[in-house]
Amino acid sequence: MNRALRLTAGLAAAALALSACGGDGDDDTTEPAAEGETAEAPEPAELRLWLNGPDTPQPMRDWLVAEFAEQNPGSTLVIEEQEWEGLVDRLTTSLGSESETPDVVEVGNTQAPTFTTVGAFSDITDQVPDLGGDDLLQGFVDAGSWDGKTYAVPLYAGSSYVFYRKDLFAASGIEVPTNMQEFVDAAVKLKQDNASVPNFSGFWLPGQDWRDGAAFLWDAGGDFAVEDGGEWSGALSTPESQEGLELVQRLFNEASGAPKDANEADGHIPFCAGEIGMMLRPGWLRGQIEDPAIGCPDMIANVGVFALPGTDGEPAPVLLGGSNIAISAQSQNQELSANLLELILSDEFQSQYAENGLTPAKVSLADGLGTDEFAAATIEAVTNAKLTPAAANWASVEGSRVLEDLFVNIANGGDVQQLAEEADADIATQLD
Amino acid sequence: MLLLPALAILVAALGYPLYRQAVMSFQDYGLAQQFGQPPEWVGLDNYVTLVTDSYLWTVIARSILFCFANAAITMVIGTALAVLMTLVGRGPRLTLQIGLLLAWAMPHLASLTVWQWLFDAQYGVINWVLVNLGFDGFAGRSWLIDQLSFFVVATVIVVWMSVPFVAFAVYAGLTQVPDELYEAAEIDGASAWARFRTVTVPLVKPVLLIVALLQIIWDLKVFTQIFVLQDAGGITSQTNLIGTYIYRLGLGEGEFGLAAAASWFVLLLTVVLSLYYVRVLVREEEL
Repeated sequence: MNRALRLTAGLAAAALALSACGGDGDDDTTEPAAEGETAEAPEPAELRLWLNGPDTPQPMRDWLVAEFAEQNPGSTLVIEEQEWEGLVDRLTTSLGSESETPDVVEVGNTQAPTFTTVGAFSDITDQVPDLGGDDLLQGFVDAGSWDGKTYAVPLYAGSSYVFYRKDLFAASGIEVPTNMQEFVDAAVKLKQDNASVPNFSGFWLPGQDWRDGAAFLWDAGGDFAVEDGGEWSGALSTPESQEGLELVQRLFNEASGAPKDANEADGHIPFCAGEIGMMLRPGWLRGQIEDPAIGCPDMIANVGVFALPGTDGEPAPVLLGGSNIAISAQSQNQELSANLLELILSDEFQSQYAENGLTPAKVSLADGLGTDEFAAATIEAVTNAKLTPAAANWASVEGSRVLEDLFVNIANGGDVQQLAEEADADIATQLD
Repeated sequence: MLLLPALAILVAALGYPLYRQAVMSFQDYGLAQQFGQPPEWVGLDNYVTLVTDSYLWTVIARSILFCFANAAITMVIGTALAVLMTLVGRGPRLTLQIGLLLAWAMPHLASLTVWQWLFDAQYGVINWVLVNLGFDGFAGRSWLIDQLSFFVVATVIVVWMSVPFVAFAVYAGLTQVPDELYEAAEIDGASAWARFRTVTVPLVKPVLLIVALLQIIWDLKVFTQIFVLQDAGGITSQTNLIGTYIYRLGLGEGEFGLAAAASWFVLLLTVVLSLYYVRVLVREEEL
C-alpha cells in the first residue's frame, strides 16, 4: 500500500488516541474583561439569568421577565434554570469565559465564598445601599463579602422544617414532638405502625441527604470541620459528632424507608404516594404538593408542619438554606445586570418570595410570610439555623462529594467511627 | 506535502489544548487562576502528588478492567447481531436494524434517564418484575449502592449504547464476503462454527480490529454514564473511573493543575492500549 496513505492512517489513529483525553480539564481560555464602557444608556441586549432548582416559582419568573423588558426598552431577560446538583462545576466553567458566562447568577449561600474570594463576581459594594443596605439579611451579605467588598447579596433564605401527616399522627396517637427524643420516637413508631405500606418512612431521609442530616450532627454538638489558628480540620470523628452520626444511622435504619443511596430531589413523589410520615424539607415543598401537575393538592389539608425540635426543646440547628445573587465579572452587560439586580431586590419582587413561603432578602418584608402554621415554622426554623463551615474553599468539599459518600455509607450500615475518620482526612485535604 | 492539511488540522484541534494541559500540569492552578490570577510554577509537584496517591492507581486499574470487559462484551454481542443480520430474511433484518438505529440515535442523557427509572430502587420496573417472579429480596433493592452491581448496571448501559455501532460496522464488512467461499467451505464439510472461524473472521478481521480499537478508546473515556449514575446513587469514591475522577478533581475540587497532570496518565494509557492494535492494523494493511 501507498506509504503516504499508510502514514495518514497512522496519524489518524494517533489523533483518535489523543482526542480520547484532549478534552479533559483544559477549558480555561480566560480573557480579561473588556473595559471602558462609557455609553450613557446601556446597549440593549439579551440578559441571561441563572436561577436554580424549583425554588423560584414560575409566576415570579414571568413577572420578572415582563417587568425587566418594560424597564429596559429593547432588552430582554432570559431565565435559564440550573439544577442545584453540579452547580459549582458549571459556575466554575461558565463564569470564567467571557463568551459563555451568564450575566447574573444565583448561588447557594454556602457556595458564595468560593467564588467571591477568586474574583468571579463583580464588585457591587457601591450598589448595596440602593439594594436595601442594612435591611438585607446580614449573614448572607457576609457570605457574599470578602476583603471589605461586597460581591453578592441575598436572594432569599429558607431553612428546612418538618412536614408531617396529621392523619397518620392521629392514627398512631402521636402528638407533635417537642424535643429531639420525642421526634425520634415518633419517627420510629410511625414506621412500625405503617409497616404494611411498602417503602414507608416514619422520617424520610434518602442516603445522600447530608444537608438535612446536618441538623442531627449539630444538635448533638458536632460539626463538619473546625478552625484552629487559621487551620481547618475535619471534626466528624469527635465524640459529639459521633453521637450525632450514630443517631443519623439509627434514623436511616429504623425510621427511613427511602433508598439508601438516593438524593433528596423529588421528595414530593413518595409523599404524595402516601409513603412518608414526616420529612425535613425547605418551604417550597408546599408549592410542589399543591401543584396539580406534579403534586397532590388534596393531601395538603392533611399536612402539618413544625420546626425540628432540638434536644433542649428549642428549635434544632438546621442548615441555614438560601441563595445569594451576583453579577458575573466577565459579563458584557454590567449596567443592565445592575438594573436586573435592583429589580430582583425590589420590595415588589421580594415580597413574592414571602408569599411563597421563603424568607425574603429584606428583614422588613418578613411579615409578608403571613401568620399561618407554615409561616410560624419558617420563622422558628431560621432562629437557630446554622451555616456550613466558613472555610474559603468549603465548596470544594461539596464538589468532591465526600459528604454524600459518608452519609450513603452510614445509611448502608457502615462503621460510623471509621467512616468519619476517613471523611475527616478527606475534608482536611480539601480545606488545606 | 499531501500530509500538510491533515497535520494542520491536528495541530489546530489538539495542539493548543495539549499545550495548555502540559503547561497547567506544572502549575498550582486553582479556582483563583481560573478567574485571572497568575498561576505559580510548582515543577513536578502535581505528578508526585498523583503518583504517590494510591487512589489514582486504583482508579486506573478499575478503568482498564471496565474498559476491557465492556469492549469485549460489546464486540461479542455486536458481532453476533451482525451475523444474525446476514442470516435472517429482509423483514426481521430491517426490524433489527431500525431497533439498533434507534438505540444508537437516542441522546445519552435521555436514555440514561430511562435507565435510571428502570433500575430505580422503589419504583423501578426491574425490581418490580423480579419481585413478581418470586425474588422477594429485590424489593426496594438499591442497584447502585454496591460497587459491583453499580458497574453491572453501568456495563449494561454502556454496552447497550455501543452495540449498534459494532453491529452495523461488522455487518457492512460481512456483506463484502463472497458467498462462493461459504459454499465451497460447506461442500468441504465445514460446520457453521468452523465456517465462521475460518472464512468469516479472517476476511473481516480488519473491520473487527478497527472497531475493537475504537471500542477500547471509547470505553476508556466513558464519562456521562458513570457521572449520571453517581448522582442517582452509589458511592462516588468507589465508582470513579478515570474520566469522572479527573472531572471531580478539576471542576469539583478546583484543582486544575492536578487534573491536567492526571490527564496525561489517560493519554499514556490510551496510547499504550491502542499501540498494539495500531501495529496489527498497519501490518494488516501491508499485506
